[in-house]
Amino acid sequence: MKKLPFIVFGLVLLLVVGSIQAQTSVTLTYMASQDWVHDAEMELGAQFEQETGIHIDYQIIPSDQYFTLLQTRLNTGEATDIFGGQSGVTDLIVNYNVEVNAVDLTDQAWVEQMDPLVAAQATVNGRVYGLTLWNTLGTTWVVNYNKTIFQENNLSVPTTYAEFRSVCETLLGVGIIPLFEPVSSGWHHVLWFPELGPRYEEVTPGLAEALNANQTTFADDPTMLTVLEQLNELYTMGCFGDNVLADTYDMTTQALASGDYAMSVFNLTGPQSIAADYPDVDPDNFGYFVMPLADNQNLNVNPAGPTKFIYSGSEHIAEAQQYFDFLTRPESLQYLIDHDPTMPTLPFEGLTYNLLPSQQAFLESFAAENRGTVYQTAVTYVNPQWMDIGQDLTAMFIGDMEPLDVLMSIDERRAQMAQAASDPAWGE
Amino acid sequence: MKNKNYPFYFTIAALALYSVFVVLPGFMGIAYSFTDWNSYSTEVNFVGLDNFRIIFSGAENYTDYILNTLFFSITTIVLKTLIGLGLALLLSSGVRRFAHLYRTIIYLPVVLPTIAVGLIFRSILNPRTGILNEFFRAVGLDSLAQGWLVNPDIAMLSIIGVDTWKGVGYIMVILLAGLQTIPQEYYEAAQIDGASSFDRLRFITLPLLMPAITVVTVLNLLYGLRVFDIVYVLTGGGPGYTTDVVFTAVFDEFSKGRYGVGTALSSVLFIFMTVISFFIVRRLTRNPVEA
Repeated sequence: MKKLPFIVFGLVLLLVVGSIQAQTSVTLTYMASQDWVHDAEMELGAQFEQETGIHIDYQIIPSDQYFTLLQTRLNTGEATDIFGGQSGVTDLIVNYNVEVNAVDLTDQAWVEQMDPLVAAQATVNGRVYGLTLWNTLGTTWVVNYNKTIFQENNLSVPTTYAEFRSVCETLLGVGIIPLFEPVSSGWHHVLWFPELGPRYEEVTPGLAEALNANQTTFADDPTMLTVLEQLNELYTMGCFGDNVLADTYDMTTQALASGDYAMSVFNLTGPQSIAADYPDVDPDNFGYFVMPLADNQNLNVNPAGPTKFIYSGSEHIAEAQQYFDFLTRPESLQYLIDHDPTMPTLPFEGLTYNLLPSQQAFLESFAAENRGTVYQTAVTYVNPQWMDIGQDLTAMFIGDMEPLDVLMSIDERRAQMAQAASDPAWGE
Repeated sequence: MKNKNYPFYFTIAALALYSVFVVLPGFMGIAYSFTDWNSYSTEVNFVGLDNFRIIFSGAENYTDYILNTLFFSITTIVLKTLIGLGLALLLSSGVRRFAHLYRTIIYLPVVLPTIAVGLIFRSILNPRTGILNEFFRAVGLDSLAQGWLVNPDIAMLSIIGVDTWKGVGYIMVILLAGLQTIPQEYYEAAQIDGASSFDRLRFITLPLLMPAITVVTVLNLLYGLRVFDIVYVLTGGGPGYTTDVVFTAVFDEFSKGRYGVGTALSSVLFIFMTVISFFIVRRLTRNPVEA
């Protein structure tokens, strides 16, 4: 028992030393889903620490557990100083409740430099809450086509659905499968529908807003119905091949590299992935065009992506803002592009992108008025039901559902989610 | 219960654990099925029978999922029992050499993880690259090459086939144990009386094997009604919704954040299983003399 006073004294000493140390150095905790923080960003974090003495503690969580864990920590008031989340106005409100949980960053200098379409997806009621550092342009989903196959068959890039259909018929006639469509993955074939948001908006201006205000429905929109009917027609014609229901997304590079398939909906930077898997393949052998269903000629941009937020309950808000300032310096952004192969573009002004000249030219061929936001981002309650739409579309392919049923089913799920979220537009 | 060798309080610890971790969550699940519990709101409100109305309204495919589950259960019960019985008979009296080796081989799939089995069969049954179709094409039987897991007409049957392959060894072992309890003298006496093989099966083996058959039926039924993993890993409920069963739908509801509907759906199955089990257990525990 004589030792007790010494033990107590030792503990007190430890606490005092610990608290003095804690006061002199700040550690920012940063929680993100797997694949959202890459090595290049951590290297920048190390440079930031050298410059400021502020250490970043990255807490990387497996993607399937991330969302649940983040919600739990937000709800219990124990979130990290910085947390990652998917931008998009619905997600910001419904999933993260940023108006309560995140710091308003509207007055930060870098907000001006961020692409306005991207910034809009991190904005709620006119206030910017997040910093999106993501390859939003390079991940644009477009039809990648094999130039050699097109030349050999005297085919030109289709600009209408009729031309697209005719390209498919020609290819089927010569024994080449027109499109690789990995339906078995459950999510890829959905791209054909909400990614055409800019076209829906072009035909019916203000449609997304009306859908969000619950003033109209998907089932009421004739362009959407046309898109699904045309997609179903492509399936019925055999344009996706016999194995379509068993094909998986990981086979895409092989399918395109082999020349068995002439086209596939793939990222704009898809050819780089093909060349990485099959070094003999020249990435310049692939060209690009937008999905021409419903005669679409607009570029589908998804300005949403993994975004960084500062937790409103953090004790280190100023330091976290300092970190965001550091990351958004032009030299830091260029460092990310040059050192992270998954980030050939970033949504900020004045950067040199890591794209092929043909990809750069393709993007530049779309004027601002011919670019628009995809509907999984522009319209509420679409993204969370992505896989359900996938099942509906498969059911449509096999004849269990009609195109109109698919649209009604989407409306039904939107209503359920809106009511669960007590969305005022849906009322009681 | 009439055994008084041990005092009642010996069971308290086990009962307490069982109550806290099994009974209580079960009842909580049933209670939540009357609420609008979901991932979008921290409030949980009583909504009466709304969730059950959604399930049975027919507007969504829940009734199809229930029918799929019943079809899966009944078909696998019949297949596993018949094939398991056939194998058990073969290995108990038909096959003399390497019988233990065969038993082990037939039992092996039972111990394999379902996810591994599912992934292997997804590869085997792939319409273009799978070895089953490759085999048919190689021997000139191209017409037999099918979209095993992607053709809506046969996808459920393929799942049933894989599940039967995986589970039949377990059933065979139980029936084999049952067969070994039947005294040989009965067969010898019947043989002397001139009974044929079929007569011996019908009048000796099957009646005396009934308790074992009842056990495997209950086990298969409870397994079949709760099936999830093999369906999820083979088809994910697809193509479309053709192979969705109750628990893939429950999983789906939970991933959509509609916890209330999810618990209501599992409550429906819980009640159904409790009722069925009650009657089967009563049948099982009936005095053999009465039976």
